[in-house]
Amino acid sequence: MKKLMQALVAVFLISFLLLYVVDRLNASSGQTEGSTLTVYNWGDYIDAELIDRFEKETGVKVIYETFDSNEAMMTKIEQGGTTYDVAVPSEYTIEKMRDQDLLYPINHSKVPNLKYIDDRFMDLSFDRGNKYSIPYFWGTVGILYNTDEVNGEITAWNDLWKPEFRNKILMIDGAREVMGMGLNSLGYSLNDTNEAHLQEAKAKLDELTPNIKAIVGDEIRMLMGNDEASIGLVWSGTASELMGTKDNLEYVVPEEGSNLWFDNMVIPKTAKNIEAAHAFINFMLDPEVAAQNTEYVGYSTPNKKALEFMPKEMVEDKRFYPPAHMTERLEVYENLGPEMLARYNELFLKFKMHRK
Amino acid sequence: MKSFWPRAYLAFVFLILYAPIFYLMFYSFNSGGTMSSFDGFTLDWYKELFSDTRLLIIVLNTIVIALLSAAISTIIGVIGALAIIYARKRIYQNTLLSLNNVLIVSPDVIIGASFLILFTIVGIKLGFTSVLLAHIAFSVPIVVIMVLPKLQEMSSSLIDAARDLGASRFDVLTKVILPYITPGIFAGFFMALTYSLDDFAVTFFVTGNGFTTLSVEIYSLARRGISLNINALSTLLFLFTIFLVIGYYFIQQRNEKPAAGVRK
Repeated sequence: MKKLMQALVAVFLISFLLLYVVDRLNASSGQTEGSTLTVYNWGDYIDAELIDRFEKETGVKVIYETFDSNEAMMTKIEQGGTTYDVAVPSEYTIEKMRDQDLLYPINHSKVPNLKYIDDRFMDLSFDRGNKYSIPYFWGTVGILYNTDEVNGEITAWNDLWKPEFRNKILMIDGAREVMGMGLNSLGYSLNDTNEAHLQEAKAKLDELTPNIKAIVGDEIRMLMGNDEASIGLVWSGTASELMGTKDNLEYVVPEEGSNLWFDNMVIPKTAKNIEAAHAFINFMLDPEVAAQNTEYVGYSTPNKKALEFMPKEMVEDKRFYPPAHMTERLEVYENLGPEMLARYNELFLKFKMHRK
Repeated sequence: MKSFWPRAYLAFVFLILYAPIFYLMFYSFNSGGTMSSFDGFTLDWYKELFSDTRLLIIVLNTIVIALLSAAISTIIGVIGALAIIYARKRIYQNTLLSLNNVLIVSPDVIIGASFLILFTIVGIKLGFTSVLLAHIAFSVPIVVIMVLPKLQEMSSSLIDAARDLGASRFDVLTKVILPYITPGIFAGFFMALTYSLDDFAVTFFVTGNGFTTLSVEIYSLARRGISLNINALSTLLFLFTIFLVIGYYFIQQRNEKPAAGVRK
């Protein structure tokens, strides 16, 4: 009995000691007094120094939490019990959240730095007038290839159909991405809803199957990094990360057109500190801050003014900052409605089951 | 020669079990930044780890949750085990035991989702409290299962003898039963500790408002690739666990020697 009591007391003492240490650490990393702001963002998607700077400048303590998928984030917000003040969903999720009345409109007068955002990335189909969301990062879908193993350049989706790429291509496991590629390669819009066009795209994709090595998820990053395949259909964010570590990789946005994606900052209905949320969004749009953040994260910033503060080789990289005439051919995924989405998924599933 | 194959087999099994861990530990010293090629020796990841207060807070939170939930669930679990074993009717006893076992085998995802719904209805803010309550809840059945066999093997004549010699009910509990089942209680505590430390599914549902545990945090890093300081962190945690196991072994040894003759 004595031994049990001793052990129990020891466990509680250690726990409270650790709690005290956590409290001290919390205190040293920001002011404990005053208001707090809870930010809900993708893992490793901000330069942590900037959070410290925001805390020092405003006196607001930032609680930073991360998620791994749009769906997980939306569930947490929908369910309640949380007090997220700022979240960073992707564009199709913003539409869903708006439709379910999960977002507060953003007061543009409290976000003066909005003027630095490139007009190309404002007022897009998923959020007209940027009523609910402010762009955080953007990117494209394109082809990543290994220059050691691919002779010549790849510039277009149609290049992938060449017989020499037999069993060399990795595809991302996403219905919109793959069907979009099929539609784009035929010159149609990736939001096309014409049944004949969709069938045509699916038939064209079926012809590609001999060249496809695998259809994979996030492991595409690792597989491309280990030279397991020479060509991959990837998001530009993945591409820029991989190219930072490997010299023999090249990324291209296909000339027929492709997808343009966004991660945007929003204020969910769970927000308790709306004032600070606006301040945080405005802070992240400050050109200097955005520049520092972009250098850390490595994705493309929509902040026009920030480009002036960034290294030249980064800004002039046409692969990640395509000029206007190229972005014109890029399209945002539109919400096609559940029926059409089911049609896309069905065709994609049939394509996946197609025999080589 | 006779004992070669069994030994080889044993070595092979342990190799398979430990190889991934050592592979991960090996690359925590890699200056290259990825797990694909070893470029040179560095301790940078460890330095980075200790300068990252957010990650340190998460690690400490994980440990605090594990210790507290294990301790509290041990107390509840031991009381529960006593209640089951001393239940009057056989059928009542079996029902209680089955209900307990259902909780152990039911999928974590369901437990996690139901806790999320419960907490939001009751109005408990997601965070430290919700995670602690959930961990206590899924640890209790484990403690019960670990303590029950000890209670079952205890001869009832021990209690009768104590009562005969004038011990009160409370004396019987604290001086006879609890000392007898102490090994079971410790085993239950450590099982609960490890369950809480590595739980992902339940925790995933009930974390929120800035409070996370290590498993959830590492999972959310997956989109941008896991940095090698996670390897460094895993190495430290592994060494810490080894240290605990060795410590526990020595404590066990010291306690057992003088008591061996008396207990049996």
